[in-house]
Amino acid sequence: MNEALLPPPVPLVTAVAGAPEALLLFAVATPLLAALALLVPALRAHVPRLLVFAPLPALVAAVAVPRGLSVLVAPYPFRLTLALDGPGALLLGGAALLWIAAGAYACAYLRKDKARGAFAAWWALTMAGSFAVFLVADVASFYLAYALVSFAAFGLVTNDDTAAARRAGSLYLALTVLGEAFLIAAFVMLASGASEANPLIRDAVAALPASPWKTPILLLLLAGFTLKMGLFPLHVWMPLAHSVAPVPGSAALSGVVVKAGVIGLMRFLPEGIALPGWGEALTAAGLFTAFYGVAIGVTQTHPKRALAYSTVSQMGVVAAVIGAALAAGVPGAFPIAAVYAVNHMLLKGAMFLAAGLAMAAAPAQARRVALLAGLLGLSLAGLPFTGGALAKYAIKLVVPDGLAGMLLTLSAAGSALLMARYALLVAASGKDEQSPPAGLLLPTLALAALALAGPFVLFGTVTGLPLAAAVSADALAKGAWPIALGLGIAVLLAWRRWPLPEVPAGDILMAARPLLAGGQAVMGLAVATDAQLRRWPVAAVALMGVAAVLAAVAAAATLP
Amino acid sequence: MTDALLYGLAGAALAGAGTYGLLTAAGALGRILGFNILGGGVFLIFGAVARRGAGAGLAADPVPQALVITGIVVAFCATALAVALLLRLDAARAAPDQDDGEKRGEAP
Amino acid sequence: MSALLVLALTVPLIGLVPLLLLGPRAGERAALLFLVLGSGVSIAVGVVVVRTGHALEYFIAGLAPPLGIGLRADGFSAAMMGMCAVVLPLTAFYAMRAPGAPAARMPGAFFMLLLALSSALNLAFTAQDLFTLYVALELLTFAAVPLVCLDGKPGQLSAALTYLLFALFGSVLYLLGAVLIYGLFGTLDLAHISAALAKAPPGWSFGAALALMSAGLMAKAALFPLHLWLPAAHSGAPPAASTVLSAVVIKAPLFLLVRLWADLAPEPMAQAAAPLLAACGAGAILFCGVVTLAQERLKLLIAYSTAAQIGYLCLMFPLVAGTVPYWSALAWTGGTLHLASHAFSKAAMFMAAGLLAEVIGHDRLSGLRGAARVAPLSIAAFGIGGLSLMGLPPAGGFVAKVMLLTAALHQGAWWIALVVLAGGLLAGAYVLRVVVLALQRPDGDLPPQRECGWRAGIALALACGAVALGFLPLAPLGFLSIGRPIAWEGLAP
Repeated sequence: MNEALLPPPVPLVTAVAGAPEALLLFAVATPLLAALALLVPALRAHVPRLLVFAPLPALVAAVAVPRGLSVLVAPYPFRLTLALDGPGALLLGGAALLWIAAGAYACAYLRKDKARGAFAAWWALTMAGSFAVFLVADVASFYLAYALVSFAAFGLVTNDDTAAARRAGSLYLALTVLGEAFLIAAFVMLASGASEANPLIRDAVAALPASPWKTPILLLLLAGFTLKMGLFPLHVWMPLAHSVAPVPGSAALSGVVVKAGVIGLMRFLPEGIALPGWGEALTAAGLFTAFYGVAIGVTQTHPKRALAYSTVSQMGVVAAVIGAALAAGVPGAFPIAAVYAVNHMLLKGAMFLAAGLAMAAAPAQARRVALLAGLLGLSLAGLPFTGGALAKYAIKLVVPDGLAGMLLTLSAAGSALLMARYALLVAASGKDEQSPPAGLLLPTLALAALALAGPFVLFGTVTGLPLAAAVSADALAKGAWPIALGLGIAVLLAWRRWPLPEVPAGDILMAARPLLAGGQAVMGLAVATDAQLRRWPVAAVALMGVAAVLAAVAAAATLP
Repeated sequence: MTDALLYGLAGAALAGAGTYGLLTAAGALGRILGFNILGGGVFLIFGAVARRGAGAGLAADPVPQALVITGIVVAFCATALAVALLLRLDAARAAPDQDDGEKRGEAP
Repeated sequence: MSALLVLALTVPLIGLVPLLLLGPRAGERAALLFLVLGSGVSIAVGVVVVRTGHALEYFIAGLAPPLGIGLRADGFSAAMMGMCAVVLPLTAFYAMRAPGAPAARMPGAFFMLLLALSSALNLAFTAQDLFTLYVALELLTFAAVPLVCLDGKPGQLSAALTYLLFALFGSVLYLLGAVLIYGLFGTLDLAHISAALAKAPPGWSFGAALALMSAGLMAKAALFPLHLWLPAAHSGAPPAASTVLSAVVIKAPLFLLVRLWADLAPEPMAQAAAPLLAACGAGAILFCGVVTLAQERLKLLIAYSTAAQIGYLCLMFPLVAGTVPYWSALAWTGGTLHLASHAFSKAAMFMAAGLLAEVIGHDRLSGLRGAARVAPLSIAAFGIGGLSLMGLPPAGGFVAKVMLLTAALHQGAWWIALVVLAGGLLAGAYVLRVVVLALQRPDGDLPPQRECGWRAGIALALACGAVALGFLPLAPLGFLSIGRPIAWEGLAP
C-alpha cells in the first residue's frame, strides 16, 4: 500500500531523446507559451503579431518528424503521450499552414479592434488545443485537448460581442458541454476495457470490438464527434457561429476546429475492422448532411453563411468516407479521409479569407476576388486539374461504386452549385470606395495557392497511385460531369434571379423552441417546489420522513 | 411496570410531544420549546436505557448519567443561543432602517 | 506523535486567548498565527499517517475506550483535516481587513468563530465515540450559526435562527440514535460497536438508530430534501463566512455519514440503505441543479450549487457498498476527491463572488456583464473553480467524476452514471452562464474601483488547488484506506 502512496519522483519530460521528440512538444507548447505571454503586460502589445509564427514548430514537426514517433511527455500517473501518425501529421501540417495565414490576416483585420488582446488569447489557446488534439495519443489527454480546442473557440465566435454573437456563443457552448458529456461517458467505458486507467487510445480502441458496452460507446462517440463536425441535426451551431465570427476566426473554426471531430472519429473508430451497421449508418448520416447542407446553403444571402453550410455539407462527405471505410473494414482509408479533410481545411480557410477580403473591397475589386473564390470553390467541388479533384478521386477509392458512391458523386454537383452561389455572393459583397489592405490580400493569395496545390503533393504518398491515374481521361470525365451539372443548375437559378427564399441560419433551430419552453417550465416547477420544500413544516416533516424511510429500509435488511 | 419502562414511556411521550411541537409550531419560540421538550424526552430515554443496563449488564450505569448531564448543558447552550438570536431578530425588525432588502429568510 | 491529535484540537482554541486579550487588530494577527499553526498540526497528522501507514491514536488522559475518550485519525480523517487546513487559514487571510475598508460590526468575532470552527472540525474528524461526535457537531453548529448573521441584519438573523433550529432538530435525532445504540451495545465507541457487530448480526433497532443519526446528519449537511436553511443562510452571510460554511462546515456531517454507512453499518444493511442515500444525492444534483439555473443572484447561485454538489458524495454509497473491493475503493476515492475539490473550488467561488460584490456593489447576475474587466482575477478564480464543478480536465472534479463513472459502470449502476453526467451538464450551464456574462462587453460605465488584488490572488490559489487535485492518478488512493476497518491498535484484544 505504501508503494502506491509515494509514487517515484516524476521528471517532467522523460523520453525526449532528440530533436524530433522535442519538436512534437514544442508544437503544442509554443502557442501555450504565447497565451501565457499575454498575461505579461510588457509583452501584451507584441504577442498578437508574434502569433503568426507560433504554428511554425507544428509545421516543421508535421513535415520533418518521422511518422510513428511517439514521446511520453509525462509518465505515470499522467501518461501524457504525444505521437505522430499519418492522418495526424496531415491535419497538423494543414492546420499549421492555416493558422499562419489566418494569423497574418487577423493582424490586419483586427488592427482597429479594441478586443484584439482577448482575441489573441483565445486564438493562441484554440491553436494549442488544435495541435494537441492531432498529436496526443492517450485518452485523458485527448479529452483535455479536445475540451481546450472546443471551449477556446468560443472566444473566436463571440469576439464581436453583438446580441447575435452572444446568442451564437451560448448555443455553441451549450452544444459543446453536451458533446463533452457524450465523450466522457464514452471514454470512461472505452478505458474500462484496457488494463490501465488512462490507456493509449490505440489500446483502448483495440478492446472496443469485444467490449460489452460496444453499442453505447459507439453511439456516444459518434454523437460527440459528429456534433463537432456539424452533422445533421447537430450542425445548428455552425451557421450561427459563422454569421458572427470575425473572418479569421471563421477560417480557423471551419478549417481547424471542426477537424477535431474528424480526428476524433479516426482515432476512436477501429481502422481496418468492419463494424457492420455502424459504418452504413455513419455513411447515411454523412450523405444526408452533404445534401442537406447544400439545400439550405444555396438559399443563403451572405457569403460566410453559405460557406458555413458548405462546411456542414463537406463534413458530411468526410463522415460518409469514414463510414464506408468502417462498413467494409478497409485498412488505409483514414489517411485518405484525412487528405480530403486537409484539402477542405485549406480551401475553406482561403475561401473565408477571400470573403472577408471582398467585404473590405470596392465592388470592382470584389468581383475580381470572386473569380479567385469561384476557383477555390470549384476545386472543393472537384474541378479537374485542381487539387480538389485529386482529393475527390482519392475518396472514391474508399467508397464503393454502389448507391453510396453515386450519391457521393452527386454531392459534388451540389457542392459546385453551392460554391457558385458563394462566388456570386462574394462578387456582390464589395462596398464603395475601399481598398483592402495588403495585409488581407497576401495571406489570402498564399493560402489559396497552397490549397490548390496541396493535394498534388500529398496524393501519391497517401494513395500509392501515380498522379497520372487521377488525370486520366476516364477520371476527368467522371469528375467533370457533376461540376457541369452543378454549374448548369446555378446558371439556371441565376437566370431566374435566384428564386429561393432564404432559410434562416440555424434552420431546424426553430424546432428546438418547444424544448426551450419545456426547459423553462421545468425550471419554474423546480423553483416553486423548492420554495415549498424550504418552508419549515414541510422540511421538518421531510426530516422525519427521511428518518422513517431510512429506518424501515435498514431494519428490513436485518430480517431473515 | 418497572421503573425503566415508566421512564422509557415518559421519555417517549415527551419526545412525541416535542416533535409535534417542532413540526407544527408557527413561531421560533414554539420551536425552541419543542426542541427542549424533545431533548428532555431523549435524555429520559437515555436514563431508561441505562437502568435496563442492556449492554453491560450493570445495576447502575454511570456513563449515561455523565453523558446526559453534558447533553443537558449542550441543549441549554443551544437554547440560549436560539433565544439570543430571536431577541436580536425582534430588535432588528423593530428598527426599520436596518432593513437591507435582503430578507430572504423563510417565512414561518 | 499521537499528541498531535490533541494539538489539532487545542492549538486553535489557544488562539482565542490573545484574540480576547489583545483587542481586534493585534488579535486578528495572533488568531491567524494560531490558525496557521493548527493547519501545520493537521498536515503533520497527515504526514505521520502516510509515513507510518497506520492510523494515529490517542487516549485522553491515558484512559482507553470504552470508558476513556479516544482520538483517532485514519487516512480519511487526515484527508479531511488536510482539506480544512488549507481552506481555513486562506479564508482568514481573505477576511483580514483590507486597508481602508470599513470596520466590521464586531471586530474579531469572525476570527473567534473561525478558530472555534477549526477545533470543532478536527474533533468531528478524529473523535471515535458517538457522543463526542455529537458534541463536536453541536460545537460546529454553534460556531457556524453566528457566522451567518455577523452583520446583524434582520434577514441574516432570521436565516441564522432557521439554520440553528433545523440543525438542533437534526442533532436531537442524532442523539436519540446514539442513545438507542448505547442501549444495544453498552458502548458508544465506534471500534467496540464494530467488534460487537462482527460477533452477532444486529437487530432491526440498530437500523432504526442508524437511520435517526443519518437523518440528523443530513439535516446538518443540508442534503436534499433537507436544504431549507442553506440558501437563506448564504444569501446574507459575509463572503468569508459563506466560504467556510460551504467549503468545510457541511463536510463534517457528510464525513460522519460516510463513517456510519461505509465503516460501521454491516454490509447487508449498508447495501439496503445505500440506494436511498444515493437517491437523496441524485435528487440534490438534479433538483438543486435545476434550481441553481434559475437564480438571479450570484451568491444564491453558488449556494444552490453547493446544495447540488454535495449529492455526489452520496452517490458513492451504493458503489462503496459493492462487492468488488477495487471498485469500492475507486468510488470511495472519487467521492472523497470530489469532496475536497469541491471545498477548494467552492471556497474560491464564494471569495470571488465577495470581491465582485465589493467592486460592483451588488451581486445580481444582471450587473455582472463586463465584470472581467474590473475583476479579472476574481472571474478567473470563479471560472477555474467552476471547471472542477463541471468536471472538465485538468481539475480535481474531472478525476472524481471519472472515478465515480468508472465504478458505477463496472457495478452496473447505470442510473448513477447518468446522474453524474447530467449533473455535469447542469453545472456547466450555471458556471458558464456567469463566466460568459462577465466576459461580455459592459452595458454601461464600469465602476471605477478595481478588485482587491491580493485577496483575488487567494481565491485564485484555492481554485488552482482544486485543479492540482486533478493530477492524482486515476486509481484508488491507498492513503484513504489506511486505518480501515475501525479498530484500536492500542488495545490489542
